[in-house]
Amino acid sequence: MAEFKLNRDKLGELVKALKGEGYRVVAPVEQERTFVFEEVDDPGEIRLDVLRTKRSIKGWFFPRVEPTLSYEFDGQSVTCKSDLPESPPKTVIIGCRPCDAASLPMLDKLFDWDYRDEYWFKRREATTVISVACDAPDSYCFCTSVGGAPDGTAGADLVMKKTSSGDYLLEPATEKGTAIVEAAKSALDPATGNEEILVGEVPQRFDLGAVKPWLDDNFDHEYWKEISYKCLSCGVCAFVCPTCHCFDIQDESTLERGVRLKSWDSCCLPIFTRHGSGHNPRSTRDTRYRQRVMHKFTYYVDKFGVTACVGCGRCSAACPIDMNICTVVAGAAKLAETST
Amino acid sequence: MIEELRQKARELLEKGEVDLVIGYGEGSDPTRTMPVFIRRPEDCDRLVWNKYCYNNLTSYLTWPELKTAGKPAVVCKGCDAKAVVVLCKESQINREDVVVIGMSCEGVGEPLLGKCEFCDVRTPKNCDIVIGPEIEPLSKEKQYEDVEQLEGKDAADRWEFWRDQFSRCIKCYACRQACPLCYCTQCIVERNQPQWVPTSSHPKGNFAWNIMRAMHLAGRCIGCGECERVCPSNIPLMLANKKLAQVVKEQFGYESGYDIDEPLPMASFMPEDSDELFK
Repeated sequence: MAEFKLNRDKLGELVKALKGEGYRVVAPVEQERTFVFEEVDDPGEIRLDVLRTKRSIKGWFFPRVEPTLSYEFDGQSVTCKSDLPESPPKTVIIGCRPCDAASLPMLDKLFDWDYRDEYWFKRREATTVISVACDAPDSYCFCTSVGGAPDGTAGADLVMKKTSSGDYLLEPATEKGTAIVEAAKSALDPATGNEEILVGEVPQRFDLGAVKPWLDDNFDHEYWKEISYKCLSCGVCAFVCPTCHCFDIQDESTLERGVRLKSWDSCCLPIFTRHGSGHNPRSTRDTRYRQRVMHKFTYYVDKFGVTACVGCGRCSAACPIDMNICTVVAGAAKLAETST
Repeated sequence: MIEELRQKARELLEKGEVDLVIGYGEGSDPTRTMPVFIRRPEDCDRLVWNKYCYNNLTSYLTWPELKTAGKPAVVCKGCDAKAVVVLCKESQINREDVVVIGMSCEGVGEPLLGKCEFCDVRTPKNCDIVIGPEIEPLSKEKQYEDVEQLEGKDAADRWEFWRDQFSRCIKCYACRQACPLCYCTQCIVERNQPQWVPTSSHPKGNFAWNIMRAMHLAGRCIGCGECERVCPSNIPLMLANKKLAQVVKEQFGYESGYDIDEPLPMASFMPEDSDELFK
């Protein structure tokens, strides 16, 4: 039950209050005819109405390129130093959608698997996530098919729910969220309990329970070729995806010094699995696209017990040739139905 | 036009003149289309033609997967068909190994894409079949206006402009993958023993990639604008491509994608070539 609400005209005051408490504020803003999450100076730039930013919030925890260590060679010996940030800035991400927020606990599992990735977790600890429930989802959305909801709370510290008057009810989901309400109290009004909350509907597009068993049994099915012959093999889908997390490690160095970088990578790019020998086990488009679906809907489930897709629809919306992952997975679910 | 297109495609497949037709099919919403590969005459009704037929389908022609798929027919807008000319000139395909179905086109997108404002191939050229009415070409007189506007700035401002633009590059390589002329079997950024070009999307890596991509298309880019359209960061890649096209036009009097017999400016030497570029 929300105790407080944010008047639609007081977003600026909220941001000011949070900045006053030392938070760096990150929110959706317009950039070159598209929307992205950026650090905000002017609260007037914040676009809480934007349903789908081009890229997800993952870059604020897992940057597209980051130095992990650097080294120097003085002619005799090599000295290394870690580039792990001691204390990342205290940050609040405001205005992500519940699907983006849900990607965070999902990725926690990966980054705390055989090795605890402090680069990820230090930023996770320093960041508070305020999501905005979706009042107007679109045809690319399928969160309800992968266990989410347009007003889901997974991964969010505080959920803002739009009301019919255009204000937002604030529902804290964690202590961090409660701390935000405390920090921003001067900008908030008490909720009356009579507000009408607007939450959109996202129809269920496929039966997730049917998908995995079919994928497990149909690695060599003709379906993969049928759906992916037209895939361009670019990395857009993976790079805009909130849950795609594969990265490449590269050393950039001179004779005297170097830096080891961790950069986003994508299983759809042809070089992704090319071995040192030159052999590439995923040399064709269908094998690469299949990997993308398999990783999300079966391998990740086997390893971590959750599906690595939040149904945000970003990959589908951004795909240059209109490959729609929801249609692809729904197609697999349909094949599962007809094969039994 | 759609019916005529479907009919022609059906005939080509029925007569065995081609083994597949690469065209546009219905997309996931009414403002999109999706490439379709059609092999059976009865599937030709899946072909569509509308103002959302953005993709340059000739980029599929050089795919290794297609080499074993038989003879293709490809549906092209006038701009796309220019790529076929270049692919032939660069010995990537044989002209007789592909049937080019040109579609008369008044422009794609809503609002119209920038390239469509200066289109002189609304009735496609160099095609085997042209479907649709003859459409008057548009004037190209102002096609370099945006380039000239940027050039009006001083070097420091231009540097800042491109630095800001390239800073948004996420190195997804959609520009490369969508380009019909980026057909290298191994792109230089994938040569990693040693890694010649930094793959990370930091400023140095982004500059290296984007400038190299544009330079490699100098005298080759046909202006289909697919690189810019597919860029998830909306980087104005065509500004760089157009600048290089302008230089090649001024220096060598050459425009890419028009004449299948004219020598390639970057792959041929003539005594009368200007030396101005080597200062």
